[in-house]
Amino acid sequence: MKKFDRGGSRFLIGLMFLFLYLPILLLIIFSFNAGDSSAVWRGFSLHWYSELFHNRLIMESLYSTLLVSLLATAISTAAGTFAAIGLYSLSRRKRDALLVVNNIPMMNADIVTGVSLCLFFVAFFQGWGSFARWVNGMQGAFQLPTRLTLGFGTLLLAHIAFNIPYVILNVAPRLRQMDKNLVDAAQDLGCTWMQAFWRVILPEIKPGIVSGALIAFTMSVDDFVISYFTAGSSTSTLAMAIYGMTKRRITPEINAVSTLLFLTVLLLLVIVNVREARQERRGASMEPRKLTWMEKLAVRTSTPRWRWVKRGAGAALACGFVAVVIFLTGATSSRPVVNVCSWGEYIDTDLITQFEEETGIRVNYQTVESNETLYSLLKSGGADYDVVVPSDYMIAKLLEEDMLEELDYGNIPNFSLIDDRFKHLSYDPENRYTVPYTWGTVGLIYNANMVEEEITSWSALYDDKYAGNVLLINNSRDALGIALCYLGYSVNTTDEAEIREAYQVIADANRRGVFQGKVMDEVFQKMEGGNAAIATYYAGDYLSMVDNQADGVDLAFVIPEEGSNWFVDAMCVLKDAPHKTEAEMWINFIASTEANLANMDYIWYASPNREALEQYPAYYEELYGEELDQETYEIMAAPPEVLERCEVYENLPGETQKLYSQLWVELGTD
Amino acid sequence: MKNKRALFAVPYVGWMALFVVAPIVMVVIYAFTTADGGVTMENFASMGTYASVFTRSFWLAILATLICLLIGYPAAYFISREGPRFQRVAMMLIMLPMWMNFLLRTYSWMSVLENNGLLNRFFSAIGLFTLINNIFGTELEYFTMINTQGAVVLGMVYNYLPFMILPIYSVIEKMDGSLVEAARDLGAGSARVFRKVILPLSLPGVLSGVTMVFVPSVSTFAISRLLGGGTQMMLGDLIEQQFLGGAYNPQLGAAISLVMMVIVVVCMVVMNHFGEGEEQAVML
Repeated sequence: MKKFDRGGSRFLIGLMFLFLYLPILLLIIFSFNAGDSSAVWRGFSLHWYSELFHNRLIMESLYSTLLVSLLATAISTAAGTFAAIGLYSLSRRKRDALLVVNNIPMMNADIVTGVSLCLFFVAFFQGWGSFARWVNGMQGAFQLPTRLTLGFGTLLLAHIAFNIPYVILNVAPRLRQMDKNLVDAAQDLGCTWMQAFWRVILPEIKPGIVSGALIAFTMSVDDFVISYFTAGSSTSTLAMAIYGMTKRRITPEINAVSTLLFLTVLLLLVIVNVREARQERRGASMEPRKLTWMEKLAVRTSTPRWRWVKRGAGAALACGFVAVVIFLTGATSSRPVVNVCSWGEYIDTDLITQFEEETGIRVNYQTVESNETLYSLLKSGGADYDVVVPSDYMIAKLLEEDMLEELDYGNIPNFSLIDDRFKHLSYDPENRYTVPYTWGTVGLIYNANMVEEEITSWSALYDDKYAGNVLLINNSRDALGIALCYLGYSVNTTDEAEIREAYQVIADANRRGVFQGKVMDEVFQKMEGGNAAIATYYAGDYLSMVDNQADGVDLAFVIPEEGSNWFVDAMCVLKDAPHKTEAEMWINFIASTEANLANMDYIWYASPNREALEQYPAYYEELYGEELDQETYEIMAAPPEVLERCEVYENLPGETQKLYSQLWVELGTD
Repeated sequence: MKNKRALFAVPYVGWMALFVVAPIVMVVIYAFTTADGGVTMENFASMGTYASVFTRSFWLAILATLICLLIGYPAAYFISREGPRFQRVAMMLIMLPMWMNFLLRTYSWMSVLENNGLLNRFFSAIGLFTLINNIFGTELEYFTMINTQGAVVLGMVYNYLPFMILPIYSVIEKMDGSLVEAARDLGAGSARVFRKVILPLSLPGVLSGVTMVFVPSVSTFAISRLLGGGTQMMLGDLIEQQFLGGAYNPQLGAAISLVMMVIVVVCMVVMNHFGEGEEQAVML
């Protein structure tokens, strides 16, 4: 018999741990980075740890994560315990049948659970809407709210729904092991039923309840997928905030908060571990555990995995309680609110603070990725926004489906400051619904150090020369629109043959491996870091990329000779928005010259405000003490001769839209 | 008294009807209807278009599960051969990464695998590319790692490896050591002991690990999105796109979810059946 080769096996285990910990180590190291990159080291700093506490998005999502986890844990533990007791009083056949249903959420893929709950909530809201309207119509004594949306409530319900099975799973084996005669004996001796429960059953099953609660808490804190589908737009957990950031740039504050969390759990585990080792050394052998029929499912929770998770959860639970108490005491409620939805990095965040200070209205600022995503969110009932900032063609679509509320321009005096050329545009010919926010062009961005020539045509996007280095824009309208431009067709064509031809250009390039990936806001990180050579994106975003480009990257922007798209993004209020007055105050504030100047400077998108557009070069000079480069200004605010070459997207007929999404999904399946 | 306690089950039965059964019924209803409410099979018929997504999802998930098994089984086995202290620390180290959000850890891999990422910089710094270019006359500047199937599988293996190691470890750890001794006494060599005793006994753990890796792998959408750059669309992405993404079509999304649910249930039933058979064999 060969001696067991301990050195070899330890080496392999070591390799595995290296694999598991390398990325975590990187995360921790870069939380101390002085720069904001997660790949380039710019020196040691604790900057991000102090920033962390001023980052509202992170702190608020941390707060809702802890709150929903704690509430869901408490409720599901109580409910699950009673349910388990009830189930164990049923006949075995009934119980087994019910347990099968109970196990469904644990067995199903998270995404299926999330989707099914989302559909259920939305269907319920629709039903409730008609019911409430009926009741309100019948009598005048009280008014029921007619419009419900996904939010904290649904998030909590979903968490409870997926937590209860875990609690039952942990309590059930204890109930099985309990001697049934104990309860009878207690009652024979004169206990009431309640006393029997408190004095006999509860102490017997307590370990099961505790471990069930700890696992429920861990599952809640850890969950991303189910929250993503049930939280809607107004509530965001930490995991959801991180997902939103991964599309763009992870701010190092997230590294910092994760490092803190990680180190806390590590420390607590070490303490628990040392204490336990000491106790174990004192003796006390483990008593053999009885195998139950549920062993196969219980193996999940009785594994060491869960033991550690449970310990970690216990520690985190304690910290969580303290944190929530601190938060709750500091939290202010019942302030007027306005829910705003916009694109990522599309506002000078100081404006939000300024508005809040001036008006006392709390701004709940959310972002989505593209017009199409916004539409999906609105349709699926996942959003309770007041103000949205869609692009021209999407505004037309929303209007067509009667999803926008008419504005009271009396409340928006700053509308008069908007340049006439941005009023009465095709999407809103009478200008009753919109106030323009920004405008700009779509162009080709390239890294001059990675291409050999000066690019002037869209053909570079589909060129084998740059295979593996081109980023395709990840929304059907822009991607197909550009291909249509390239072929010399109108971006608003409804001719199926032309659209299919444009699709073929993209699909062929895709098949030949020209595209490195499909990106929206991921484009920043890719282009700034020199990870791709060519991309299509918006002029304003190009300018902020130039601001952040890494060494050795030399970005350039061009509106190719074939022409392109120019767009207007405008603020609108959604139908039945609960905070219409506040929404109009917000719109008026943002339309002011000062806000437009600040925004232009921050996001590099051109303003539709006449004064702001004219004053910006002077504003820039005053702020930075140097003249604004004319070329930069013209990229931001394209001159008329450039706009002449560009077309505005119009809302396409239903058939064409269907073709667009069908082709788009098809592209993904290649 | 028994009946009185059984009343406790009533609210929960109601709850399950509302939050477990009703949502699934909603999925079924959506899957078989059109946007206007008519009954249709079109959602399933059109799924043929996505055959490649199904194939890719299953292929990548199976690959990831196999790799997890290949790494996870030896790791669990070797750890179980160590002393109790080592085991305790090792288990703690395997659990610990789960307390850092998986999206963050996956994002961290992004910065490692980029064309201009840490790994390629490292290779370039040690002169690997110069060496290769000199030998083969190529003009290699970096290895393409991000946005490939390999990267997606790596992400899955990385995230779900602990789900494989832990059940296997817990089964091997609980295994009756005297069985191994008995086999040795009866003249079996190390390889034979492993094949005839340890492997069959650890099978329930393996099965549990396989399902725990396979189900999240086949349905992921964040990993394929981050490390596949949108080019490696998987079932999860497809579903997400129909609900919250760029192609709003909840009916189709529900149909795909339903198919996935059925597949997962079938997998579980097969696995459980297989697993039970094994256990009985062991008992005999």
